[in-house]
Amino acid sequence: MTHALRISGLRKSFGEQQVLDGVGFDVPKGAILGLLGPNGAGKSTLIRSIMGIVEPDGGTIELDGTPWSREAVRRIGYLPEERGLYRDMKVGEQAVYFARLKGMDRPEAVTALKAWFERLEVDGWWDKKVSDISKGMAQKIQFICTVVHQPSLLILDEPLSGFDPINARRIVDVVRSLAESGTTILLSTHDMPSVERLCDRVVLLDQGNIVLAGEADALRESGWSGEQEVVFRGNDIAFTNALGTLAHLDGIEPDVAEGTRRAAIRLRNPEQPGQVLQALGQAVDILEFVKVRPTMESLFIQAVQSGAATTEPAS
Amino acid sequence: MKGSLIGAVIGREWRTRVFKRSFLLATLLMPFLGVGFIALTVMLTEGTETRNRVLVEDMPGLITRLDAASGQYVPRCPGCFPERDLLEYRFTREAPADSVWQIEGYTALVEFDESVLQNKAGYLVYETSPGMQAKRRIERDLSRAMEHARVLESTELDWEAYQRLKFDLNLVDRAASDAGNRTEGGGEEIRGFVGFMFSAVLFLVLAVYGGLILRSVVEEKSNRVVEVLIAAVRPEELLLGKVVGMGAVALTQIVAWSVLSTLAFTGFQFAFDSGMVPGAGAVAAGEVPADLLTVMAENEFTKVLLDIDWVLMVISTVVFFVGGYLLYGSLYAVVGSTVQSEQEGQGMVFPLTMPLMFAYVFGIQAMENPDMAAFSWLSWFPLTSPVIMLIRVAVGVPFWELGLSVLLLFLTARLVLWVAGRAYRHGVLAGDSASGWALLLQWVRGHGR
Repeated sequence: MTHALRISGLRKSFGEQQVLDGVGFDVPKGAILGLLGPNGAGKSTLIRSIMGIVEPDGGTIELDGTPWSREAVRRIGYLPEERGLYRDMKVGEQAVYFARLKGMDRPEAVTALKAWFERLEVDGWWDKKVSDISKGMAQKIQFICTVVHQPSLLILDEPLSGFDPINARRIVDVVRSLAESGTTILLSTHDMPSVERLCDRVVLLDQGNIVLAGEADALRESGWSGEQEVVFRGNDIAFTNALGTLAHLDGIEPDVAEGTRRAAIRLRNPEQPGQVLQALGQAVDILEFVKVRPTMESLFIQAVQSGAATTEPAS
Repeated sequence: MKGSLIGAVIGREWRTRVFKRSFLLATLLMPFLGVGFIALTVMLTEGTETRNRVLVEDMPGLITRLDAASGQYVPRCPGCFPERDLLEYRFTREAPADSVWQIEGYTALVEFDESVLQNKAGYLVYETSPGMQAKRRIERDLSRAMEHARVLESTELDWEAYQRLKFDLNLVDRAASDAGNRTEGGGEEIRGFVGFMFSAVLFLVLAVYGGLILRSVVEEKSNRVVEVLIAAVRPEELLLGKVVGMGAVALTQIVAWSVLSTLAFTGFQFAFDSGMVPGAGAVAAGEVPADLLTVMAENEFTKVLLDIDWVLMVISTVVFFVGGYLLYGSLYAVVGSTVQSEQEGQGMVFPLTMPLMFAYVFGIQAMENPDMAAFSWLSWFPLTSPVIMLIRVAVGVPFWELGLSVLLLFLTARLVLWVAGRAYRHGVLAGDSASGWALLLQWVRGHGR
């Protein structure tokens, strides 16, 4: 299978500091991969290495099944975390300039940009100076400049920072539709809800090493240790007694509907939830019995704090 | 592809600056201000001459005779004192007291005695100076009248025959050389001054546009555009595009100034020669009105402008500008890439531009003594040659020296551009932890990777 991006044994140090220590993972074509990690984990250096901004000390990078080349990098759409625009240039003129740097000719760039401006509802701002537009508007322009040349691989570093919730959702929708049309996306972010909404794979970096990697659903599933949420109608004592030694009660509180209760429990034997459900059903009236998988945020915190490597085969 | 990417960078640098209002204003105004300055000088020279009534006291009777009809003394050579709007002569053989001739409305009195034919000296007495222009005319008229007197007294020729035989030799300076090739020489001070004017302009343009490069690089760092750029274009290419783009802006300005100055000067020349300019008609009735070039040749300042070999100087200026600009522009860009603010950059740029400033100061000295050995050495040394060689070109320089200087300059510029590209990459991508000299030192310690 050809991968959009394949990294193996990537190393980079700045002076005494080892920033990347043999990092390797694959991104299949059309996947959305979340690149996660605390500050200083090496995410930006990894992205900069892919983009040819930083020269790695060792390791290999393959793009679309071929060894790294400047020409292949030019086909990537890259939205850096620290991004900006020329304040004195007009919006349209500036977007055309960035498109030309990606190898598009002027007429082709203008046509594609006009379509994107319309799609993201900024078409009235073509002739405005950047200094006259809002930060959110500038963020949209930067996003358009990143995707205008129809890249097969899109690297987005904190793409939602600076957006209000409505526009953030609009960008998420666009990213999802790009992925559906076959664009591979590498998303670096600290925004865990957007990782859960978008990413089908994640790589978690810490101190230059991968500490967690794999399919998002599989990782959340493997991180589940019996947490369940139960909504019931009945007596709390009867509920607790029914749990007995089958599960541990983490908490219990009133639910939204009158007379209903919501309890958080942890199964002692996660393999047999049916046994617990049967026992509880005999004591109270069960309305909901829902498996609670760990959030990406909790997996992130747990992996970073434990420092243990939990790596699944990336493809 | 590479070409078109650098082309895009050059295009952006050029377009965003050339279409700025301030650039258009400076480019359009400067030539007209320059020609306006020349026009003002000419017009002030020509137009401010006041009316003068001069009483010539011809005690020895050398140049006057008594006109029986009028009872007045009149010149023996009437043609020597042409009628002029602003200059009028009367003649006497008495010595009036100063108060008397002034009361009679004369503005100046000319005195001389018999010795004037030997020592060629007389006196111009006045309360208020009649002005340089009027004084030159009085001297010229009286000289011709004296000449007329001497011709009539000492030769058998008549005045008209003498005028035909009269011969003025004009010696053109030539510099001798061992190879036998004589080049136009002499007048070196004026030529040196002309060269210095060009080198001063080059110095200013290098400093101003170098500063613009610095500002542009700092701006791209502070507005965070640089990372997107570097992802698409190699730092070396980006640097080259930036330096060339900004250089193209400067060249556009130089070419625009040259064309507009020529047009403006031609327009002024046409207006002046057609008598449409105030002061242009201040000549004697019956004389052919002087054209602009003649008038300029009479003025010490404007005369220098006529002595310039414009084509040679403009070509040399462009060549040395391109070389010097690539060299210094790259250095400015490296400085810009290592600093966080323009102010910090200005502090770092100062030592880098010391050679250029030294060349400028040295050029002032060299202008007066262009044959000193150091002058040659500095005109070959790439850091000083853009300024120094222009002075030598104006004075006269062997072709091989010019070629050597250009070659060394462009080779050095290419080398500096290559090194600068690497330092630039390090500078623009460095974080905020180090800046300025510390950052450059960090790069050097890292073996310039």
